[in-house]
This record gives sequence, structure tokens and C-alpha cells, in this order.
Amino acid sequence: MDLAKLPNEKKLNLCKRYFKGNHSHKMGCALLPFVWTVNAVWFYNEAFRKPEYEEQKHIRKYVVYSALGSAVWFAVLVTWVTIFQLNRASWGAFADHISFIIPVGTP
Amino acid sequence: MDVEYVVLYSFLIISSVMLINCQQRTKEKMYDKIDAANGCYRRLNATHQIGCTSKRGGSTGVIHYCRDSSDLDFVINVGTAGPYVPVLPTKLFIAEIIEKLITSQKVSGLILHPNNETLDYFTHENQCPNPLTSVENTCGSDSLWNPHGTGLLYRDIPFPIFYVESEDEITKIRKCFDKFNNFDRDNQKDRSLCSLELKSFMYATTNSQTCRRRSNIVTNLNPITFCDPLGDNNIWAALYPLVEGPQRNETEPVRDFKYIVIAARMDTTSMFEKTAGANSPVTGIITLLHTAKLLKSLLKQEDVLKAKTNVLFILFNGETYDYLGSQRMLYDMENGNFPVKGLSDDNNILPVIRPENISLFIELSQLGNSKDNNLYVHYLKSNAEVDNFSSKLQLNNNNIQFHDVPTSLPPSSLNTFLKHNPGLPGLVISDHEKSYTNLFYNSIYDNSSNIEYQYYNVTKGQEIPKNSIQQFITNVSEVVAKSVYEEIMAVNYTGNLVSNVELVNELFHCYLEDPNCKVHSATQKGKLPKAPLSLYVGVDRVAHYISTMTSLTLGWFTGDVEGEGNINCTNKPKNYAFRYYNMSKSIDELTVTLCFKITMNLTEAKSPAFIIEDYDWSSGLYSSWTESVWVDMGG
Repeated sequence: MDLAKLPNEKKLNLCKRYFKGNHSHKMGCALLPFVWTVNAVWFYNEAFRKPEYEEQKHIRKYVVYSALGSAVWFAVLVTWVTIFQLNRASWGAFADHISFIIPVGTP
Repeated sequence: MDVEYVVLYSFLIISSVMLINCQQRTKEKMYDKIDAANGCYRRLNATHQIGCTSKRGGSTGVIHYCRDSSDLDFVINVGTAGPYVPVLPTKLFIAEIIEKLITSQKVSGLILHPNNETLDYFTHENQCPNPLTSVENTCGSDSLWNPHGTGLLYRDIPFPIFYVESEDEITKIRKCFDKFNNFDRDNQKDRSLCSLELKSFMYATTNSQTCRRRSNIVTNLNPITFCDPLGDNNIWAALYPLVEGPQRNETEPVRDFKYIVIAARMDTTSMFEKTAGANSPVTGIITLLHTAKLLKSLLKQEDVLKAKTNVLFILFNGETYDYLGSQRMLYDMENGNFPVKGLSDDNNILPVIRPENISLFIELSQLGNSKDNNLYVHYLKSNAEVDNFSSKLQLNNNNIQFHDVPTSLPPSSLNTFLKHNPGLPGLVISDHEKSYTNLFYNSIYDNSSNIEYQYYNVTKGQEIPKNSIQQFITNVSEVVAKSVYEEIMAVNYTGNLVSNVELVNELFHCYLEDPNCKVHSATQKGKLPKAPLSLYVGVDRVAHYISTMTSLTLGWFTGDVEGEGNINCTNKPKNYAFRYYNMSKSIDELTVTLCFKITMNLTEAKSPAFIIEDYDWSSGLYSSWTESVWVDMGG
């Protein structure tokens, strides 16, 4: 989709839908942070670089929220991955049971 | 580097400096495989991982050929081009040096070779084998069973080790080393060097509990086995059937019998993927087999029925690894699952044999390194049965001096039974008193020359000397057979026992040299591998030739002839007490086939730790050994 060809009103709707993870897009809760990331990148120009227009204020709001949301989510994710990887061996059975792939030759 | 070989057992690749020849692929010019290398692999128990592993995809290091330990000092203290793969003669494979290599962190692998040297001793078993599962205080400063033991078998070694027997391969490595590495050593790191890539990446880590758990997780997206429990089969046979009855399909169990157990162990181990085991366990196995054969000729079924005492011959497997075979057998007996699982006490198929039914436990331990025909009878507690049997041995001596060793118990399956019932009358017959006379215990050098065995081809007129190991083992089994006869009959043996030293000669040949020997040809028709069969217990999901062959031999020796051998023999109605086999009449008449009714059977030798649900791994109650999977081994 080429954003440039879209009327401003539809841009806002799109950005909003991406932020809210509208179900018509069939994006589940788990994928929402990825969608936020896409949203933030995709609408960055619209929100901050284009000359002002009426809906831009709202678009900007959604872009900022999306960016923040995904940043927080990534921070949580990185923290979890770090904790998990550092403690996988010492957590023993629990760690094995929540793993989908257990690496060979590693404690 | 893109290298992919899929040949098992040839894990090594010499990469040497490229030579100019456009006809061959560069890869083939740069690399050379080393054949016939025996790797060291990882095993695990409830608390530890032991053995060796390479890095995933292989560990590479610069070859350093060492003649003595001073060459090794270069690797540890001076060499800058590391990591290295030292090539060592086996005499340098000692705990001190291995520890040094591990702590130096400059070594990425190790090659060992025999170097045509004779060693005084070579054993990497513990000084006290099976310390956790033996009866307490049976091994200490006054009786250290394996004083030369380095314990390296139980060390976690962070690099791969390969044993290369072929001196041609070693010469190849040495030449490469001399050509590219062995000059201007200070500047080694600035030039291309001859290196080795060793592959033996092990999947399992930490301990048995961890690797078994990981092998059984169903949510795993990539389900793979990390390790397998060690295990195989225990072999047992009764001297006479456990049932009686006129018709093949109308038999009744003989109940309320006592059983004299004659036991030996089936397995050995070594640092590498090759075993020898001439003294331990082969001398014990053969003595047991021949004793069975002799007793069959001495005792009649009426004698056994009258005395209400039968003889059980049991070969325990996996005894090297915390007595896993005897632990399982005892566990089965306690739970009423011996001889067959799940029979009630009053069933009409087989008698249920429990540990209490054993009246005497005679274990044949290592017998091949006897000094001046001295043998030792170890027992922990003196009681009437043991004293009685020991004096019978001394009376029937056959020029062998039997010495009592009271309050002594070498590593043996009897440990398992005494831990359960300290009052069980039991003794262990062995060639050692306070420490092993076998200086190569559980190593690749416990071979024919360790027991001075040499095959004599009797059909070509060779005579078996009186001082040979064959003759000695024949004599021992005669003494044991006569003594057991007297034990059951309660009279002195006065007959003239005819034993068969040629058979013993053949049996040694089967175990130590050629599996396609006369005895194996007599019991079955299949073709076996050319090399001696491995005596390592192995993992439970693989069938092992050695236990199949040994069980058939034991069955053959204890079986009853039921007429001509033909198709009807194996097709007759089923009876749970017997197996029917067409086998040769004797090793001299291989073409004459008879139908044998035999009581031999196999029971699973897998530690109870792996069959008890919710087994508490920290209890240390049962053997917990597993072996790591190493699917992608290949250079």
C-alpha cells in the first residue's frame, strides 16, 4: 500500500487500527508488539516529516504510543531471554519443560 | 571449512598443507582420514558426566608428536600456535599428565597409540571400583582392589581422546608433524601447520536425570534422544528344568526348592570404544560355562529332585557400572518377577524364585592372573555353608591352593545381594587376595597376552600344555563342579570326572580371537563379525551379540537332548519353562544336529532406576549410568 496515495482520513484509520491491533487484521495479542513496531516505522514520516494536516496530531500520538509500547515490550523480552538463558541450566526440569528446543551438548 | 564425511569410526582428518596437484579436489589434497581410531565417549550417572567430548563440529588442534613428557612440556609451557593435539604413547596416559593438560587449556584433543611398548600396568578404573554400590568398608587402605587405578574413566575430560592402534596411521601423523611442525618451533604460529580435527561431539550433559528428562519431553519441537540407559540382558540357566511332568505341554512347577547360584559377570569397559576383557570377565564366564557343562554330566535330574536343590547359573551384565545387572535381577526376584514377570506364586507355569530361595551364592571372579596356582575364597561373614563349601574346594583342590580370605569382599555381584541380605551365604573365588593381580583391569590391555592365552589347534595335532591358562581354568571348573556336586549330594565325589580342556581352549578362542569359532557354530548358524565381540554392556536399545552367543552356549551346556534335530524340534507346543533349539552334537561333530531342550533364558539388565516411576535420583540406591548419544560422529 502506498501511503502517499491514501487520503489523510484513511491514514489515521490505518494507523489507529495498527495501534489497537484491530481484530479484523487477525493479529493476535502476541504479535501486537511487532505490529506496533511496524506502525511506528511506517507512519514515522507521516507523523513527523510531512507538513501539518488535521489528522497528523492523532497519527503522531499513535506512532509515539506504538514506538513506546514496542520499546517496552522489547525491553521485557530481552530481559526475559537473558534471565532464561543465564538460568536455563540451574532451573533444571522447569527450564526444560518450557523449552521448545533443547540444545544438544549444553548443560 | 566445508568438510563432510559420514563414515563412522573414522573421525580424524589430518589437514596438512596443500600440495600442488590439480587433478584432485583441494579438499582431498588437504585432508587425510585416519582409520581405526577408537574414541572415548561420555557417560553420565546421577551426579556426574564423565568421559570425553569434542566441540560441536569437531575440535581442531596442531599436531604435536610426543616421545616423552618433555615433548609435552613444550605444548604446555612454550608452544604459541595452540591449541594442540598431542600424540602420546599410552605409557604417558596417566592421571597426572591428563590433569596438567586439562588445566593448561592449551590442548584441544589427544591421540594415544601403543607405540609397541609393554606396560607394567594400565587401568583407569577407580582404585575401589563401584565405590557407591559396594558393601561399605570392603575397600580401603588394607585392601585397595585396584591400586594402580587412575580413575580416569570417571574423569570429565573437556577434549576428545582417540586411541589409534595402527602404527601406520601414527607414522602418517608423525611424518606430517616432522614435515610442517617440527622445526623452527618458536615461529610456529606464523606458518601453516599440520593439524588434526577430532569429532566426537556428545549430546548429553550434566547427569542422567537431566539427559533422560530431556529425551522424554513431549512438547519438544525437535525430539531427540540425549542419552540411553546402559543395559543389556542377564543370562541365566537352571541345571535341571524348573518344572517336571511327563508331557511337553503338561508340566508342573517344582516348588520349595533351594537354589545354589553360580554367578559371574559378563562385562568390562575401557576408556575407548574397544574392550578386551580377557581376565575380567572372560575367565569367569568360561569357568562358569565349563562348570555348568561338568555339573550336567555329574548330577542327574533325580539327584536334583531328591535334594530339592537346583543350580542356577547366572551371568550378570553391566556389573562394571554399579552392578546394574545384579541390582535388576535382585529387584525382579524381590518383586516376584523372576524367572518371568507377572506370575502369581501359585501359578502352574513356573516356580517364582525369590532371594530367600538362594542357599549359596558362588561367584567366579577374575581367575586368569593366578600366581603359582593360588586362588582366594573371599567371604564377608563366616557361616556353616560358606566354611563347608570352602573346605570342599580345598579338598578337591586339583593342585590349586584355595586360601580363605575372611571378612573380605572384592567388587562382585555378591555385593548387591549382601547389601540386601547380609546373612546370605556367599563367596567369591578369585585370583587375588588383597588387590588385583590383573594389572590391566577394565582396559584395552586386559587381552590374551595378559592371561598368557594362546590358541592350540588340536585338530592339527597341537597339544595344550599342562601349564596353560586353558588347563588352569579347566581345573578350576572341575573343582567347583565337584564341590557343588558334593554340596547337593552330601557325599564325597568318588567318580572319575572327564573334563574337556579342548572345549575350554575353544571357548577362549571364541571370546578373545574369533567369534566364528566352533562353539558358536555349534549353537547357531549365523555369521558373526570377524573381530572379537565387544564386552561393553552398551545401551539398552541395542541387541548385543555377546550375550546372545553366551546364552546359547550356556543353554547348550545345560540342555537336555530331545532326539534328532529337525524342524519338529522348534515347532512343538510351547512351554514357558523351555526353549527348543537345533544345535550340533559337539564341537567335533558340528554337522550332527540334535534337538536340545534348554532352560536358559534372558532377563532384562537395565537398572531399576530407569523403570521405577518417580525414582529419587539423589538416593543413590541403584545404578544410574547412561551413555550419551553422539549421532553425528564422523570426520
